[in-house]
Amino acid sequence: MTKFGRTTAVAALMAGAMTLTGPALAQNFPDRPIELVVTFGPGGGADVMGRQLAQLLEPELGVSIPVTNVAGASGNAGLTRLSTSPADGYTMGTLISLTVASWAAGIGDNAPEDFRVIAVVQSTPSFLFVAANSPFETAEQLIEHARANPGTLTVATSGYGTQDDVALIVMAEQGVDMVNVPFSAPGERYAAPLGGHTDVIYEEPGDVVQFLESGEYRPLMLFAAERHPEFPDVPTSGELGFDMVYLNTFRTLAVPAATPEDVVARLEAAVIAATGTDAWQAFCSETYTCLEPLTGEAAQEEVTVFMQAIAAQLED
Amino acid sequence: MNTFELLGMGFQNAFALWALLTIVTGLMLGVIAGALPGVSFVNAMAMALPFTYSMAPTQAMLFLGAIYVGGVFGGSISAIIINVPGTPASLPACWDGYPMTQRGEVRKALAVAILASAVGGLTSALVLSFAAAPFATFALRFSQPEFFAATILGLISVIAISKDRPLVSLMSLSLGIVIGTVGVDPIYGVARFTFGVPAMQSGINFVVVMIGLFAVSEVIDLIATNRNLRPSNAANANARIRFRDFWDVRGAIARGSGIGSILGVIPGAGATPGAVIAYGIEKQVSRDGDKFGTGIMAGLAAPEAAKNATTGSAMVPLLTLGIPGSAATAIMLAAMMLHGVNPGPLLFLNDPTMVYTIFAAMILANILMIFAGIGVAQFFSTLMKTPPAVLGAFIILLSIIGAYGVRNNIFDVYVCLFFGLVGWGMKRIGFPTAPLVLGVILGPLAERYFMTSLANYNQDWTVFFTRPISGTILGLAAVFAIWSLWPVLQARYRAVVLLLAGRPG
Repeated sequence: MTKFGRTTAVAALMAGAMTLTGPALAQNFPDRPIELVVTFGPGGGADVMGRQLAQLLEPELGVSIPVTNVAGASGNAGLTRLSTSPADGYTMGTLISLTVASWAAGIGDNAPEDFRVIAVVQSTPSFLFVAANSPFETAEQLIEHARANPGTLTVATSGYGTQDDVALIVMAEQGVDMVNVPFSAPGERYAAPLGGHTDVIYEEPGDVVQFLESGEYRPLMLFAAERHPEFPDVPTSGELGFDMVYLNTFRTLAVPAATPEDVVARLEAAVIAATGTDAWQAFCSETYTCLEPLTGEAAQEEVTVFMQAIAAQLED
Repeated sequence: MNTFELLGMGFQNAFALWALLTIVTGLMLGVIAGALPGVSFVNAMAMALPFTYSMAPTQAMLFLGAIYVGGVFGGSISAIIINVPGTPASLPACWDGYPMTQRGEVRKALAVAILASAVGGLTSALVLSFAAAPFATFALRFSQPEFFAATILGLISVIAISKDRPLVSLMSLSLGIVIGTVGVDPIYGVARFTFGVPAMQSGINFVVVMIGLFAVSEVIDLIATNRNLRPSNAANANARIRFRDFWDVRGAIARGSGIGSILGVIPGAGATPGAVIAYGIEKQVSRDGDKFGTGIMAGLAAPEAAKNATTGSAMVPLLTLGIPGSAATAIMLAAMMLHGVNPGPLLFLNDPTMVYTIFAAMILANILMIFAGIGVAQFFSTLMKTPPAVLGAFIILLSIIGAYGVRNNIFDVYVCLFFGLVGWGMKRIGFPTAPLVLGVILGPLAERYFMTSLANYNQDWTVFFTRPISGTILGLAAVFAIWSLWPVLQARYRAVVLLLAGRPG
């Protein structure tokens, strides 16, 4: 802090702090770099999203936005860092569905009310994919085989207690019993159907674009209320007779809950502008994750509803 | 175009001034980051990532690839000179490299390490260039049971390489495996051994443990014993570097290169198990096997070749399938995705220029590494002339930065300092620290592969033995275990026989 800055701060404190610094802070916000805490290691989906967004937010906010990876405990290590940072908008973090699922399982010391979700910037339904050389050409064939041979088909997923797990449990309850094979390392999960190690993989399309483009993966079934515009021939789980809550994989940008309203508004506007740029549109369409960013109450709700849905399933 | 023409075009691009500068800069950064105790090359790559935004995709890959190649080697410089491995894969370089330094043969040890690393790296860069596709098919046949078997072989090697006290090593290894279980488990997402401390849920990172056990404890020992880190500079007739020395270790280098090239394609395995397994195998194969650990050149050359031989083959799954196998290749994937490039089979069709420029650059980087390595090693050799107090302060500072930098988490710094004290205590009572670190690295991998294998094969544990590749690796591990424990078993047996014979009646 400069000498002038220190004097001002001291003066402000003596003058009775809050009323003076509060509005002043927001008017000038942001006047120094904003740290973006990515809650997973470099190279993952959250990291690529965070880095892309940071790059596009810089011109919108006029300050630099360095990315810090704080991985660990399903993303909770980074969120703890975020929730214990000053609630002044100068620390943002990625909050993603995988971490929210971990809360339902009792991991971490974070809760939805600790964070203010600025915007849900990516949201994507998941599919069941098979490898190109799989005997299953359609979802009906897969379902028929699974009904006739319960507990024999294997599905590569991201783990137990995740939305992947919930989807498989609901399908099993409705007579289609397949085995959940948890692969926590994404690379190993993607390779599993290719190497013939599992029959099926539960995955969002954006993470396996390379295999979809090359035709090595065949999409069989979509977990969503409506068909996916990019995959108009793939039936939804509803069409195939399953009754379930659809749990999208989502990624959001969040700040500590106590962050002032006007700072949140400023960040929200910047995120909406950044996601409107051509660069972001190219990025999101390539990863099949485009959506109108959800903000405000709707964004907050996405997180709580998701957590309740997972928790309800885990209680059974 | 055939492979040779494509590669020729790749070399043309790689020899362009901007490309060459990028490669050299990356190499230097990598070797320096690797050599600084505490700062790992993965750190360096993550820090370099934002700088690649403004580069063309190919240039970004050359830059990161060069840091990777240089960094994997760099860790051995500090391992050899001050007995502090710069990266976990350089642990084995301490075992025979540092004793050579103590004998006054530091230059020779560095020369062997550089040459072995370069040959290993070059071998796997050539594998990458000419056999990426068949190698990728081979890699896909490895599933969780095979990964599990390879990890077990790594764990057994740890015991096999302990000189004369396999049981003590086993204890140290087990302790490491227990430490590795701390945190949120990767399969069920349940917190284990966190004692109610939220920070513990992130687990104990092996790099942090390594920095504590090796770098911090070395400094504590320095303070406590007031000993001199400087090795004897006494002229040693053996210290002269002769061509014959390299020729003598050609077998070790070849075996190390082969082992590293194969293990590198396994996701999650990578340089550290590669180096350890190569050391273990070399110890069994070499004529001087029983003298390993006293400064035998073959014991330095094999793991050095192996760890750098993983660099090229680790990029096979990345480029051919779009699957990153390690932290380093994950960062490369991020760099490509941020440029809108999706690695995978289509990349070879859509942009062969980029692919073959990367191949050529990997070949080139491993050759240039000889010069970068010598340059940085020369500079680091001057460290031996700095007063121990200054050197100690320097190492502590880097250790704290390095421990923090692993995950940008202050808790890791406390863990690192704690393991510094633990490591010093272990050293004082002659308890080996290397098996502990390897336990922390390999334990969680073994667990994850074991659990996923069982889930995948109907909870049938015989799958590890009935699958051909997995069964073969486990068989090798069994041979290893018997081989290394034989002297102990034999001694016990004799003692029992003597006891029985001595007993009247």
